[in-house]
Amino acid sequence: MKQVAYYKGCLASLSAKELDTSTRALAPKLDYELLELDSVTCCGAGDIHEAEPDYYLHLNARILSYAAATGADTLMTVCNVCTLNLRQANHQLLNDAALRERVNDNLERVGAPRYETDVDCVHFLWLVAGESFHKLQDVAHKGLRGLKIAPFYGCQILRPSKLLGFEDPDRPDSLERIIGACGGEAIDYPAKIKCCGFPIIQAREDTALAELIQPIEQAKEAGADAIVTPCPLCHLSLDAWQSKLKKQTGKDFQMPILHLSQLIGVAAGLTDSELRFRRHVVSMDPVLEKLAL
Amino acid sequence: MSVKVELKIWRYDSSTGERALKPYEVDISDEMTLLDTLDIVKDRVDGTLAYRKSCRMMICGSCGMRVDGAAVLACKVRMTDIVKDGRVPVVSAMGNLPVVKDLVVDMDPFWHKMRQIEPYLEPRLDRATEGENIVPQERMDAIHKESLCINCGCCVSECNSMESDPDFLGPAALAKGFRFVGDVRDNAKIERLERYSEEHGLWDCTRCYFCNERCPKGVDPRDAIAKLGAEAMKVGIDRDMGAKHAKWFVTSAKTTGWLRETELVPKTQGVVKAIKEIKFAMSLLPKGKVPPPFPPHVAADVGESRALFDLVKTQGRDGAAGIVQGEKALLHLQHEGESLIDGPSHPYDDPRSFVKPYLPDDEPVAAD
Repeated sequence: MKQVAYYKGCLASLSAKELDTSTRALAPKLDYELLELDSVTCCGAGDIHEAEPDYYLHLNARILSYAAATGADTLMTVCNVCTLNLRQANHQLLNDAALRERVNDNLERVGAPRYETDVDCVHFLWLVAGESFHKLQDVAHKGLRGLKIAPFYGCQILRPSKLLGFEDPDRPDSLERIIGACGGEAIDYPAKIKCCGFPIIQAREDTALAELIQPIEQAKEAGADAIVTPCPLCHLSLDAWQSKLKKQTGKDFQMPILHLSQLIGVAAGLTDSELRFRRHVVSMDPVLEKLAL
Repeated sequence: MSVKVELKIWRYDSSTGERALKPYEVDISDEMTLLDTLDIVKDRVDGTLAYRKSCRMMICGSCGMRVDGAAVLACKVRMTDIVKDGRVPVVSAMGNLPVVKDLVVDMDPFWHKMRQIEPYLEPRLDRATEGENIVPQERMDAIHKESLCINCGCCVSECNSMESDPDFLGPAALAKGFRFVGDVRDNAKIERLERYSEEHGLWDCTRCYFCNERCPKGVDPRDAIAKLGAEAMKVGIDRDMGAKHAKWFVTSAKTTGWLRETELVPKTQGVVKAIKEIKFAMSLLPKGKVPPPFPPHVAADVGESRALFDLVKTQGRDGAAGIVQGEKALLHLQHEGESLIDGPSHPYDDPRSFVKPYLPDDEPVAAD
């Protein structure tokens, strides 16, 4: 069992608790032991990076330092935005000794551990599509019965590729491979690598909804039974804001949205209390009926 | 070495509205770029093909176009790279700009936005100063990346926000805006930040990072937009909902450590607008998507996070100065977007880089 530090981020702690429970239930099946981080905070979500950039760097350094303190060499995230924020800060700290020294002195002054031993920050998707991919077929023994799944990557797991770099940002295939290994059929559509609009959904709702409708509409037209995403922010906008799309455009898509851990979880036979589909705004029932669950 | 390559080009004539994807096959030599290949198509196959070009060496910014949907400078990409594995690339005009003919777009909307940000120094001096005013190198380094822009439009082509809001100033104009906001010789910083923070300004950015991914010169426009946001908030220009949204994350981090999700809506939109959202919020409530603010979800040792905020505030790295930008921007002149994280420390060590120029002190390289 490989030990990884687990950074769940804000949403999996609050409005997307189903992401946390399904990830925790799935991890041991893939031979991961998740090490809890109690003292960490929000990564700043791009907002603190913009409002107080120096504070952003320190908050993320503090998360990295607590992750390193567990003794694990890997910090696992379950959110695109957390992944970019942590990898960006890590990249800056690992490549600038003077900066790291200053940040470490500051961490020490407030009583936090210094960030001395390097950790690598990786998304759950990358672990499953990478080092653990060979285990997937066994884990997903119940299969998805040819369910048509539209992969939606979201932005900050692909771009900027110089900080993320797991796969080709224009032709990613990790989600497609996972869908296939779980016995589903991956649906292709152009908007799968575009933005869901979430970062500006409150400040610029019309612009955000014009972005949001693209993947949902295209996935629907391509015949998808559901969309799967590795990002809880994408999940929230795709799932919860569909009612706003209906109000604005009259189109009622009723497109079920799955977290990546739920997609694999269904195929792996996780229980209802681990998957927690009742927490979704758009009903998952049509999908579950097709799977005869 | 001569190689045969296939490509398809989206042909378009705005005067007739005719549009067609046409296949071409030409012989090129293996070191040729996409632009060289288009020259051969035009010379030998079809003289009516329209595209822009000038310098052929990534300086003029004329030959922006899309290959398989991704904006590139045609003079920067090597043809053998884009046809590898038997791919037949589809070449088309850039996005978010009207197409005039074939691969030529109308750049007027691009220049209009450039003009809107007033891309010239405003020293606002009453009279000429005596003697020389030397600008320290580090002050120019702060705007080095943004100064590399060649106005090619590759970032604009794929901007997701601009696709949804065509009036968005967009990545190129805003990066240019930071080039002046960050210039120590400019004395219109406050007015600029006010103007760039308006309705279709910097808070329109949806952080899709397509601009950073596409920029062929390493400008990283999204980072420039973040720098503008940081500078605006530093001087108290924070009325926009985007700025209020960002501020609430800071407040959350230093009070409970985690985002205070439910309070984010009224803190961003104001109480009046938030009340109009109550029906929407109520629809999400039974699903647990509106977590109650009490009791707050508090991180252990959150005092450290609070103390860090106070401490870094005393260290003079407010605003854009806090954004670590990796000044070696030329290192970002990379090919195919491959990672530099574990990459070489010197640009010429990368096998995909340009050939290192011969310098007198170097050992001469033996010919094959």
